[in-house]
Amino acid sequence: MIAFENVSVSFDATEALSCVNLQVAEGVLCALVGPSGSGKSTLMKLVNRLVEPSAGRVLVRGADVAGQDPARLRRSIGYVMQSTGLFPHRTVAANIGTVPRLLGWDSSRIATRVADLLELVQLDPDLAQRLPGALSGGQAQRVGLARALAADPDILLMDEPFGAVDPITRRDLRAELRRIHAGTGKTILLVTHDPEEALELASQVVVLRDGAVVADGAPAALVAEDAPEFARTLLGGGQPGLRRLSLLPAEVARDACPAPADAPALPEGATLADALSRMAETGRDVLALGKGSLRLEAVLARGR
Amino acid sequence: MMALLLAAGLALVALLPGWFGGFPPGRLLGLAASHAGLALAGVVPAALLGLALGVLVTRPSGRALRPAADALAAAAQAVPPVVAVALAVPAFGFGWGPTILALLLYGIMPVLRATVAALEAVPPEARLAALALGYTPAGALREVELPLAWPLVLDGLRVALVLAVATAAVGALAGAATLGTPIVLGLQNQNQLLVLQGAAATAALAFAAEGLLLALAGYGAGRGRRSSASPASSDGTAQSRKP
Repeated sequence: MIAFENVSVSFDATEALSCVNLQVAEGVLCALVGPSGSGKSTLMKLVNRLVEPSAGRVLVRGADVAGQDPARLRRSIGYVMQSTGLFPHRTVAANIGTVPRLLGWDSSRIATRVADLLELVQLDPDLAQRLPGALSGGQAQRVGLARALAADPDILLMDEPFGAVDPITRRDLRAELRRIHAGTGKTILLVTHDPEEALELASQVVVLRDGAVVADGAPAALVAEDAPEFARTLLGGGQPGLRRLSLLPAEVARDACPAPADAPALPEGATLADALSRMAETGRDVLALGKGSLRLEAVLARGR
Repeated sequence: MMALLLAAGLALVALLPGWFGGFPPGRLLGLAASHAGLALAGVVPAALLGLALGVLVTRPSGRALRPAADALAAAAQAVPPVVAVALAVPAFGFGWGPTILALLLYGIMPVLRATVAALEAVPPEARLAALALGYTPAGALREVELPLAWPLVLDGLRVALVLAVATAAVGALAGAATLGTPIVLGLQNQNQLLVLQGAAATAALAFAAEGLLLALAGYGAGRGRRSSASPASSDGTAQSRKP
């Protein structure tokens, strides 16, 4: 869906990205993580030509973006930014309807779409006629998300979308994004400096450092023992073993033989970290999981 | 609106002495009309030029011209209007020509300054969002940047208009029929009443022009706070710019 081939970007004398190769398949939620100045935001902006490569090619839907009209390309790709970028002189409804209007939809179709989107991002329809200045941070971020989704783009670019809201709102918004991603199957590129957010949301995590990709893979693989040291340190949060266990479902370590009758049970959908916590709580080294059992050694073996 | 009320009051001050041996009211009104026409002839091109230059030097492609435009506008304003008129007389002859040139030079700077400041005050994230969502650069300017910049640009237009109305009185020195004519006459004949009439009529016209501009821009609706604050500042400008 999106491919970077030997892409380099230079701003004046400094090289922001050097020879990046990366593939993001259709329907994947790919998180770009790294310290500030690592080039993650630059990498994302190549996709809709907000940044131009100094070398290499960027392919979107199989076509080199260099040959495409920037305005038309951007209308086909949703964009969400940290500061929301809502137009302060336009109502919530007009903000959400921006891209459909640019695409020439008629006003009744836009109105219907705006109403649907307000429902999708769980905003009160009464907010439609307010100006962005009258919204809370979380509401504004939801409007920003709705605006990006307005013309139903198959690709969504999100530049630290939840960076400026409080932790509780952030958690809600993450859940919202996960739900929308699961429901629509869009390809999403998410820039974040929060490793936890990357691991929690993404099916593919790309770690950048000084303009180069240092790791690219599934979240659990990047905190495993054989993952590159920088990625493991960045994503592991000081406890890479526990991080990894929290990313793996308990089922992967399940033993088919039934647990002892008095073993504590682990609920469906629990992770290996939940299992370890349950063992620590109860002082037992075996848990019941569905019809089988889960042993401490099996859990520990997965943490490496 | 305060500006229009003040204009009416000053107009009375200007017209009343006409019935007691001062400058005749009929002629004063005629001069006011020609004064207004002269001011408009100077300020409209100045506003258009100032706006266009302001937009140009804030575009990525025109940024290099910014220092030159600033210097030019500052230089244009540094020349006193009396001098501009006097210097332009040999080139344009007497009458409207030199006055319009002086007004044009004088009006560019406030509009240019306001336009540049207003466009630079547009939140960068709104501009980025406009481009990222798929506006063309011209579309982003028209739909996002200019609407957000408009209140500040309007302030610049207001200043330029008031300046032009006040400065047009200088045209009398070059023989243009303006409200400066009774002032010049009064000074020559040591008749303070004529000076008072001309000055009051000029100020009345400046306030009226400001009031009309604000009303035209729909500014008055719900924004009494601003329009009640503006007469004081425009009064100051009008006084300080008199020849």
